[in-house]
Amino acid sequence: MRTVQIRGFTFAIAVAVVLLRAGGLAQSKPAQVPDITGSWERVFAPPSSDPSLKPQYLKEWQSRVKATRDASAKGEPLATNNVHCIPEGMPAMMSAQFPMEILQSRGQVTIIEEAFTQVRRILLDRPVKAIDDVEPGFFGHSVGRWEGDTLVVETIGIKESVRFRDVPHSKEMRIRERIHLTSPTELRNDMTIEDPVTLEKPWPVTFSYRRMAEYTLLEYVCEDNREYADEQGRQKIRVDQPPR
Amino acid sequence: MASLRTGRIAGGVCAALLAVTASAWAHHSFAVYDHTRTLTLRGTVTKFQWTNPHAFLELDVPQADKTVKHYSIELTSINMMQRVGWRSNMIKAGDKVTAVIAPLLTGESVGLGLEVTLADGTKRELPVPAATSFKRTPDSQ
Repeated sequence: MRTVQIRGFTFAIAVAVVLLRAGGLAQSKPAQVPDITGSWERVFAPPSSDPSLKPQYLKEWQSRVKATRDASAKGEPLATNNVHCIPEGMPAMMSAQFPMEILQSRGQVTIIEEAFTQVRRILLDRPVKAIDDVEPGFFGHSVGRWEGDTLVVETIGIKESVRFRDVPHSKEMRIRERIHLTSPTELRNDMTIEDPVTLEKPWPVTFSYRRMAEYTLLEYVCEDNREYADEQGRQKIRVDQPPR
Repeated sequence: MASLRTGRIAGGVCAALLAVTASAWAHHSFAVYDHTRTLTLRGTVTKFQWTNPHAFLELDVPQADKTVKHYSIELTSINMMQRVGWRSNMIKAGDKVTAVIAPLLTGESVGLGLEVTLADGTKRELPVPAATSFKRTPDSQ
């Protein structure tokens, strides 16, 4: 009777050990995901290649670029969204004009850009919604998944008024990103912008970042914006004296 | 005067091209400021405004005719300033400071701050994008 009890106890321990090991293996999987959490600064590089726009959009873009250049040369720059303290949105925020922070949490990667305190949420391992099911916004609907050591992200739902390098796009725009470490302190974002309406072919854009080990992002609130656009859409500065 | 103006415009065009390149990294373009000359202002601070998208230094500058001219000096984002060592308590109302500015092209007494010598004599640059595109000249006000 006593021998049977001991055998039963030994078997129970063996089963428990197997279960614990299995559980341990399952839990160790997320630990293999690269650690990209922290503050990053853009490594400045030459501008990305120009987009291959379809003729009618190319004409519009080129005339806008020329108008912008001519206005600046006259000392009367055209007002941009930034003049109104409107955030850049996607994909321009990934150019990281100010430092950006990446946070990895369960089921989500969050990216915060210090300028204008822009926030985008990349939901992991979810199906991508249909474009018509997403209300257009500045940061859009982003889903991602880890393919080995690369975070693969797809973004849709960007307002047509939210432009990168002033390039026109339609609601069909889809931004694909492949974000991966090239060293423990260097991160690369190989982006491809697709738009069957405006682009002849996908537009590749790459951003690189350097880790800022000791940096904590600062706050950014547009508290007193003295810039405004006049009736001609030119950038002006309020010159009246503020109360003392 | 005509040749001076032409020179200024030509200089402005070159500077504006640089400014266009630089503007991608700034809240807005700095093309509204004269890239061909600077003014050195000596005066009394009425306010050091620590705000985004830009900080401002409000300065009363005594004139030769005994009047006082007020200048609003636009600085960069306080985030950029902090990253190069600026702090909100470095200037206070009543301080006597010297500021080098790129004046507004339209002639109002507004300028872009390029450099400030604080009350204690410390000289501090502003982290203006493409700062070297602003030609420094010895004009005083």
